[in-house]
Amino acid sequence: MNDTILGQKIRDQLEFLGGVSILSKNCFSEIRTKPFHLNLLIDQIYFIGVKSFPLIVITALSTGMVMSLQYGLGLEKFGGKPYVPRLVASTILREMGPVFTSLMLAARVGAGMASEIGSMVVTQQIDAMKALGTSPIKRIVIPRVLACLIVLPLLVAVANLVGNIGGLIVGSTELNIDPQFYYRRVIETSNLKDYIAGFGKTFFFALFISLPSCYYGLTVKNGTKEVGIATTKAVVTASLLILVGDFFLAKIFWIIEKWL
Amino acid sequence: MALIEVKNFRKSFAHKTVHENVSFYVKEGECLGLVGGSGVGKSVILRSLIGLEKADAGQIVIDNQDITYFDEDQLIEVRKKVGYAFQGGALFDSMTVFENLAYPLLAHTSLSDQEIADQVKSQLAEFGLDDTQKLYPGELSGGMQKRIGLARAMILKPRIILYDEPTAGLDPYNTKKIQELILRLKSKGVTSILVTHDMPTAIAVCDKFAFLKNKVILEQGTIDQLQQNKNSLIHQFIEGNIL
Repeated sequence: MNDTILGQKIRDQLEFLGGVSILSKNCFSEIRTKPFHLNLLIDQIYFIGVKSFPLIVITALSTGMVMSLQYGLGLEKFGGKPYVPRLVASTILREMGPVFTSLMLAARVGAGMASEIGSMVVTQQIDAMKALGTSPIKRIVIPRVLACLIVLPLLVAVANLVGNIGGLIVGSTELNIDPQFYYRRVIETSNLKDYIAGFGKTFFFALFISLPSCYYGLTVKNGTKEVGIATTKAVVTASLLILVGDFFLAKIFWIIEKWL
Repeated sequence: MALIEVKNFRKSFAHKTVHENVSFYVKEGECLGLVGGSGVGKSVILRSLIGLEKADAGQIVIDNQDITYFDEDQLIEVRKKVGYAFQGGALFDSMTVFENLAYPLLAHTSLSDQEIADQVKSQLAEFGLDDTQKLYPGELSGGMQKRIGLARAMILKPRIILYDEPTAGLDPYNTKKIQELILRLKSKGVTSILVTHDMPTAIAVCDKFAFLKNKVILEQGTIDQLQQNKNSLIHQFIEGNIL
């Protein structure tokens, strides 16, 4: 019995890996051929980017404020309060900005993609696209993947800015750090390597969100109940890929930084 | 000459065999009724004819082309020749009726916006749906959705049309409307396959029938030939005593 369950789990994982690989290959081959559905891409940029904006701002602001407070309270005992701006900025630029923004996007957009595409499968709209001689990859998957690739770095840039503003607000009000000093320290101590390490990850995270979400949506089979399951799987998989992938990407960018 | 030919078709899902050695053909201009009880896999055959399902074995020939192992790019050309009317209409719910009908024209023709608008308008008029252009599928009745699905399937003027339960769940008025549409398309020489449980509609529009049971085609022929058959299952199905 356990063997069967374990075997099934392994099969599911292999099926997922194979399925996402084939989907990625199909995306890559179809992205280079006409027609290019610019209007669909713009729709997705609006849905993923503009509609996620308030969520990202609130998350980043809270994260920056909490980090500033925790670092400040922790370092105060050792007289390390002047290091708070540098620590907050570095953590946000390298880790918290990209990771939290991606997690929020995975929850909001990944779930949306899987459920929307899953519903289209259940109502035979995906079959209808194929039956009418058009490609669902081109019309459904590629605009979503491209939109994530375009929008996520921009949202991370916003999150970085807002997170540091949050840190500055708490630094000046709760920790009594001079706002001008805080601002100067952030500008002086943040460097190009921080940005490269942070932004570099976002392109991978965009793929971690969009491809599994589209895959789970497209592989819905048995009615609306499975749409819910696909949605859950999409969010969990995207979140895990972001969190686990972050470690390996941090390591890779660390090596790259040494070359720079 | 046969426009659609299926030879020794076999299809399984997981470990369940749905079809074994299914063979039939449809000549140009003919309408074949694919009938049988629920779950015998009538729609699976229909879907396989345009590559939405892949055959495990056998051959599917459409317009003298063996499409059995065609890839998605090759299937696009086949699908332009074959209209598929889905059971629930399968209209794109984020698009208006106009956009749904314009979709195949935008994808496969180089018509101007005005020409597309004219063609959509005339197609809707032909299907008795003039005032629905700006409506979304959610605002339409089931019968109207099916008729619009049919109008969309026919807008590229395919030589073949596949109907998947076109009258299922419809009231007598809409059933009659669909029957009339099918007969009108047939009179224009369109070759078709009708998958249905609805024997009165099938008898009204089909030239011949294939009766599916236990993974195989139990019998095929005209309605008279089926009625003369000694198999009681076929009689019971025609008389509506079994599903």
